[in-house]
Amino acid sequence: MTKYLSSFKLALKQEFVYKLNFVLGRFRNIIHILVFFFLWSSVFDTTVGNHFGYTKSAMLTYAFLLILFRSITLSSKSGDIAGIISNGDLSNYLLKPISFFKYWLMRDFASKALHVIFSIFEIIILFIVLRPDIYLQTNPVNLLIFVYLCITAIFIFFNLLILTSFVPFWLPELGWGAQFLIVAIIVEFFSGAVFPLDIFPKIFFEILKFTPFPYLVYVPIKVYLGGSEINLIQSALISTLWVFILFRVTKIVWHKGLLVYDSSGR
Amino acid sequence: MEKAIIVDRLIKNFQISQKESGFVGFISSIANPTKKTIHALKGVSFTVQSGELVGFIGPNGAGKTTTMKILSGLIHPTSGFVSVLGFDPWEKSYDYLKKISLVMGQKNQLWWDLPVIDSFEFNKEIYEIPDKEYQKNLSDLVEILNVEDLLKTQVRKLSLGQRMKMELIASLIHKPEVMFLDEPTIGLDLVAQQALRDFIYEYNRKNGATIILTSHNMNDLIDLTRRVIVIDEGIIIYDGPLEDLSKKFAKEKIIKLTLEDEAKKEIFEGFGEIKKYSPREVSISVPRETTAFVAAEILQSIKLSDLSIEEPPIEDVIRRVFKGELAKEG
Repeated sequence: MTKYLSSFKLALKQEFVYKLNFVLGRFRNIIHILVFFFLWSSVFDTTVGNHFGYTKSAMLTYAFLLILFRSITLSSKSGDIAGIISNGDLSNYLLKPISFFKYWLMRDFASKALHVIFSIFEIIILFIVLRPDIYLQTNPVNLLIFVYLCITAIFIFFNLLILTSFVPFWLPELGWGAQFLIVAIIVEFFSGAVFPLDIFPKIFFEILKFTPFPYLVYVPIKVYLGGSEINLIQSALISTLWVFILFRVTKIVWHKGLLVYDSSGR
Repeated sequence: MEKAIIVDRLIKNFQISQKESGFVGFISSIANPTKKTIHALKGVSFTVQSGELVGFIGPNGAGKTTTMKILSGLIHPTSGFVSVLGFDPWEKSYDYLKKISLVMGQKNQLWWDLPVIDSFEFNKEIYEIPDKEYQKNLSDLVEILNVEDLLKTQVRKLSLGQRMKMELIASLIHKPEVMFLDEPTIGLDLVAQQALRDFIYEYNRKNGATIILTSHNMNDLIDLTRRVIVIDEGIIIYDGPLEDLSKKFAKEKIIKLTLEDEAKKEIFEGFGEIKKYSPREVSISVPRETTAFVAAEILQSIKLSDLSIEEPPIEDVIRRVFKGELAKEG
């Protein structure tokens, strides 16, 4: 176990090397949230009543939870794997008595830890500055399932990223493109990271809820906010199922990939 | 002695996609990808005894690195049998990986942005090396490669040569029983090359480690290896003592003459190719079959104080191995 602990420590150290980079990344994140916040604030201020079933405070809470969620689930290091495979650096990992998956999970955790710490500070500051009306969930069942969904979200995203990172095993030049499509477009839009999925027609979510994407952001936040649209047990089950399916698929693809891996670069 | 490495009828084919240059070529290669099969290894077999140090030589693209990669479990053979220390390398069991090391001249396993020592300590944890052993291995390696004062330097700030040395330390810190050294001296200065050679020699002798070494550096081979395996175009064309390589492959012999009286160069031109000439010392390269005949002729026509017949220098033969000239003849 100590080997994974030291992977974690070293990864943290590595993250700290690029302090400015990191801070700029966080800055982009805050802008993202501020746009969300002010857009919806003005929508609620200039019109009457609820929108898409959200009260003003629920929508602003969504904005604040987004900060935290982008840090917990959507911040990750394992996207680097695509490059490692296509340039042959994967060999370094294969030669070591260490689990490739656990190692990258540790690097992800290190990245997440740092982002979460920062996001907590940001939330506090934004809270003081903006003084929004935040919805506090008190139902322990909702809170418990919310925390559980955070964990499944981490593993779902980890597997999605790793799976897209495996594309270069077969198409070495396509690593970045595949990841951009999955992460930057599909995940951003269908996870609820850009806007709540309630904006889409109802039927759309009914289909989407069987895919892994809404369990990354939208469903957990929705569970926190309460409300009748989301079936708690069903959500927990579907997301759990996706974790197992994705881990299994990742493992299979990994072994198939290793068979065609040519350890290039020499 | 037991066998540390067994390779039997090893075959490896690669599929590579051909790419045309230019934009039109790029589009057409997407629309209509052409695949080509490369036969990197065409049935390679050899064994290495435990504690042996073997040179593995051949021209570029002969299959050396492919063999090393299969032996260390990085790539999967198309067919054939491989066993190292009783393990199947492809399974990559931790017990196996802890006993081997693949050192490649251009590998980068160090953490680019952190001080070098962090990478070493990381390896200590991964390989689960006890503290005492780690300290000792590290100080030995650091001393041999003379990098004491660089341990706290960021990897990115090291020169190529310094980084190569650090890569080596990282690869050897767990004291492997079997080492696959692929061009270990590439990028090192002459002093470091020599230090590394001495180190490999000592390491092999002291620890009884089994070592396979590929190198295009003549000194590496001559100083270190007794046995060499020559591979070309995926086939082993020679496996035996380094000294006998000339006997097998050299088509010429060298006749060395010491003259009683000074003589002009032209006199010797009819006998063969003149390799070296000074008024009293001449070396002539002659076809193997005619050596005795030519020597007799020289003895009859010129006054000599000495005549000797020698194999051509091993360097010449190895040079021809690197050029890939032997496969076509052998």
